Amino acid sequence: MSKPVPRPAPESAPYWNAAKEHKLELPRCNACGAFWFPPSQSCPHCLAADFAFVPVSGRGKVFSFVTFHRVYHPAFEQEVPYVVALVELEEGPRLLTNIVGIELDKVACEMPVKVTFDDTGDGVSVPKFMPA
Amino acid sequence: MVMIEPSRDLRDTCAIVGIGNSRLGRVPGVSSLDLLVEAMRNAIADAGLKVSDIDGIVCRGPDDSYCHHQRVGERLGINTRFSTTLDNGGASQILSVALATMAIKAGLATTVICGYGRDAWSRTHVNEEARVRNETRPESQRAQEFGPEYGYFGAVAAHAFGATRHMHLYGTTRDQFGHIAVAFREHALRNPDAQMKKPLTLEQYHEGKLIVAPFGLFDCSLRSDAAGAVIVTSRERAKDLRQPPVSIKGFASWNNTTGWFNNDNMVVTAAKQSGEAAYKMAGVGPDDVDTAQIYDCFTYMVLAQLEDYGFCKKGEGGPFVASGALRMGGRLPTNTSGGQLSESHAEGMLQVVEGARQMRHTYPAERQVKDAEIALVSGHGGNQVCHSTLILGRA
Repeated sequence: MSKPVPRPAPESAPYWNAAKEHKLELPRCNACGAFWFPPSQSCPHCLAADFAFVPVSGRGKVFSFVTFHRVYHPAFEQEVPYVVALVELEEGPRLLTNIVGIELDKVACEMPVKVTFDDTGDGVSVPKFMPA
Repeated sequence: MVMIEPSRDLRDTCAIVGIGNSRLGRVPGVSSLDLLVEAMRNAIADAGLKVSDIDGIVCRGPDDSYCHHQRVGERLGINTRFSTTLDNGGASQILSVALATMAIKAGLATTVICGYGRDAWSRTHVNEEARVRNETRPESQRAQEFGPEYGYFGAVAAHAFGATRHMHLYGTTRDQFGHIAVAFREHALRNPDAQMKKPLTLEQYHEGKLIVAPFGLFDCSLRSDAAGAVIVTSRERAKDLRQPPVSIKGFASWNNTTGWFNNDNMVVTAAKQSGEAAYKMAGVGPDDVDTAQIYDCFTYMVLAQLEDYGFCKKGEGGPFVASGALRMGGRLPTNTSGGQLSESHAEGMLQVVEGARQMRHTYPAERQVKDAEIALVSGHGGNQVCHSTLILGRA
């Protein structure tokens, strides 16, 4: 069984379209300059509706993480145990993601990471993170 | 945000006069609605009231329900003055008591029944797929992106993020989480209605399989078919009723609606602001609280809330729970009926039920928190950020 494919809400379509081209882009407010996530059509910092999707550095650090041992979906039966992390980008927003390219027990809070893209074969590319 | 001063006009004006629970645990073939009605019938009988005395219903329904209070009223066979259905997840149950109190004080009702029932064990055991997914919410309520593609599912993982962060910041350990699970199991063994019947040692806690680390099996609350209900009326009316009234001293809510993953919300929970306001309404502080009934969806959430309610400092929850403080005879006997970890999980409703029962002083000595005058009850839910606090007193 294949893994669930993201089903984007209208406001997050640009995020996934950029990811397809291996670019990490987040909404940034043209009024106050803040980035935010998840995407929405007004700025949660100043409520301005004038914004654009802008490339970010792709660098950040692990804010927190968990390790799945239990299988909740059959597609992850071969994956357990795997890490799901919350990565805080240099630009501020936090992204839920997987940490790849590292042994499980080496993942730690505050560890520096950088983005990498996982092409799923469904025409979708999922941003993940690896040690920086 | 401006500072507010909660009104003291509501302190000690209303009381809980009827308390009931349904059968708890695995109750196949009974809907969540019928479990709720079972708990309500028990509460009405306990109070010595006629159902026609009830003129308000404040409840919560399953996640896919519509106007649940209407279905409850139909089953109870009554028309009502003030009725509604709440939607704050596990924080709803205390809010139902708060709203009942406000409605009575406003003269919009005299006697309001509050409750919540769920069929979470049955719902997650209808077939193998439901058991694997272990999800009580309907498909339409689940994340469609920014989660499932990463293998991120369920409440265990959401709360485990907070546990990891707390462990990182303060050196909190799984062993300390274990003390919470063991204490509540000890309490459940004295409760004949409790779902869990076998003792749990700290060693067995560590042997429990990992679910979503740092949480293992015994860090996680139960899947239960379970319901609870309480009846609220004015202190004046309460005088003539059958049971010793339990005074509603204070309540408040706080919602970290900026999100669990933002700011420090996963470590400093909404129990902090919700507790501070409830303490003010009640005119008490953490040192006055004799027993706590804390929303224990996971062990870590007990530890974090105890800190946020001021029973110890932020970061000192680990040593506090490991000291034996939560056991009967300890500094703060907590979840004295076994909690959601060992009694049954009705999303905070059974915490309200147990807090009220402790204030009646009708338990046998082994279950009664000795000389308890003040009980604090917490409710937490709605994607981890909605919180409510209720402070009850011996009338």
